[in-house]
Amino acid sequence: MIILGLLGESISFAINSLVVNKLRTFLSLLGITIGIFAIIIVFTVVDSLEQNLRKSVQSLGDDVVFIQKWPWTFGPNYPWWKYMNRPVPEYPEMNQILSKCDGAQSAAFMISTRITVKYKSSSIENVTINCASHQYDQVKNFEIADGRYFTDIESSSGRPVAVIGDVLAKALFPNQNPIGEMVKLNGAKVMVIGVFKKEGESILGGSVDTEVLVPVNYAKSLIDIRNEDLDPQILVRAKSGISNDDLIDELTGLMRSIRKLQPRIEDNFALNQTSLISTQFDSLFGVVGIVGWVIGGFSILVGGFGIANIMFVSVKERTNIIGIQKSLGAKNYFILSQFLFEAVFLSLLGGMVGLLIVYLLTLAAGDSIGMEITLSRSNVILGFTISILIGVVSGFVPAYSASQLDPVEAIRSN
Amino acid sequence: MQASIKRPTLIKIVCILGFIWIVFSFPSVFSPAIKKMGDWYPALFGLIVATSFISYIGVWHMKRWGVHLFIIIFFLKETLLVLVNDVNYIGIAFSFFFLFTMLRFYKRMDLNL
Repeated sequence: MIILGLLGESISFAINSLVVNKLRTFLSLLGITIGIFAIIIVFTVVDSLEQNLRKSVQSLGDDVVFIQKWPWTFGPNYPWWKYMNRPVPEYPEMNQILSKCDGAQSAAFMISTRITVKYKSSSIENVTINCASHQYDQVKNFEIADGRYFTDIESSSGRPVAVIGDVLAKALFPNQNPIGEMVKLNGAKVMVIGVFKKEGESILGGSVDTEVLVPVNYAKSLIDIRNEDLDPQILVRAKSGISNDDLIDELTGLMRSIRKLQPRIEDNFALNQTSLISTQFDSLFGVVGIVGWVIGGFSILVGGFGIANIMFVSVKERTNIIGIQKSLGAKNYFILSQFLFEAVFLSLLGGMVGLLIVYLLTLAAGDSIGMEITLSRSNVILGFTISILIGVVSGFVPAYSASQLDPVEAIRSN
Repeated sequence: MQASIKRPTLIKIVCILGFIWIVFSFPSVFSPAIKKMGDWYPALFGLIVATSFISYIGVWHMKRWGVHLFIIIFFLKETLLVLVNDVNYIGIAFSFFFLFTMLRFYKRMDLNL
């Protein structure tokens, strides 16, 4: 109890000395504030970008394989000339995959382009239109907030029906329910039967909020679905328990047999998966994280030296007070804890200000850039850890030297 | 200042090596690699680094509490490394060398803070 009481007293001594020298306290904690701010802001941005990327990749489907003409792996030695003459995936190939692929749970053929959507006098240009076969809702992760998805008959017979994004619905039908209304897609009338649930901005682009989905069999009457510019692709989702690698192995054999490729001839299709995107982003985030670590590390180092310096000054200034305290019976640990607490408080205060600035910036940035940036629990813990660590490391030596002072010599000092 | 006990050369070497370890370990507390190991891992690692630093200061001043603190931190550190499956045998060998050196001069060390 006595020890706890003494520790409490040394804490109040420490707080008092910080309050007395307000300007000095402010200037010393500024270094730590900048250091913590630099490290935590970089980690917060990188973590938030990673989180958004993962969310976007998940919406594409992490167990979905995309059969396309062009592979997603890019680099300095990308042999584009090899891929240029490849044929594009076709609708009948999807039917063969559905009937022959054991590892596929569902598959859909899809093309996309940009069109103008009109409703009465309202018109929106450059809207992405996705034209997909019926099982698209089983390979792509999306939810319908209002209305419904296409029926089997609507898809196979190519009825003029569409599911539109939330942003489009609000822009075209500000004060009315869009379900059952007719919109014009490049002049052709299509009935709105559903509205996608709002998804928010995607880091990879292509959010369903601003897209229109129509059956590919209907699109055949409007556009040439074999046009290479429309990026025709077949999306295949793996059955549960089947890994992407197994599905890719099976699809490679199947696509080779569908396209009748001889054993020595290279594949003329690309099997892409979302992990290719995340791997490329992971390395980028890794580099950004290291840069932030180095910059923040140096700021923290400077802040630590600042606190150590101010603590030595503080000890020198209060040497005769230490002498009086010791001559009245103060133990070494009392003096030590008094100065150590002062250093830790100073550093912790700086860290808290740094974290507060990061938090305020995340709130402001979230509103202005439209992407969710959050100060995570792990980053808050890290901020506090670094602050305390800096306080202990930079404050211990001055505090220990104060605790070892001889009371008589300390009282005599000026 | 209180009269200090003469510091043996071997203790000087151990403490200098320890301080070098602290200098290199300190930035890794907030490195992205350590952060990825879990929310609380940087905090635990930071605690180990800070306490190790204090223990080396104690040993440098020929204080027994420095050795006690070193032993506690040694076991805490190795337990943590076993839990995260990152055991470093060279690090253990160094720690044992440090520990035996400290224990060799333990009787000459001061009992007080």
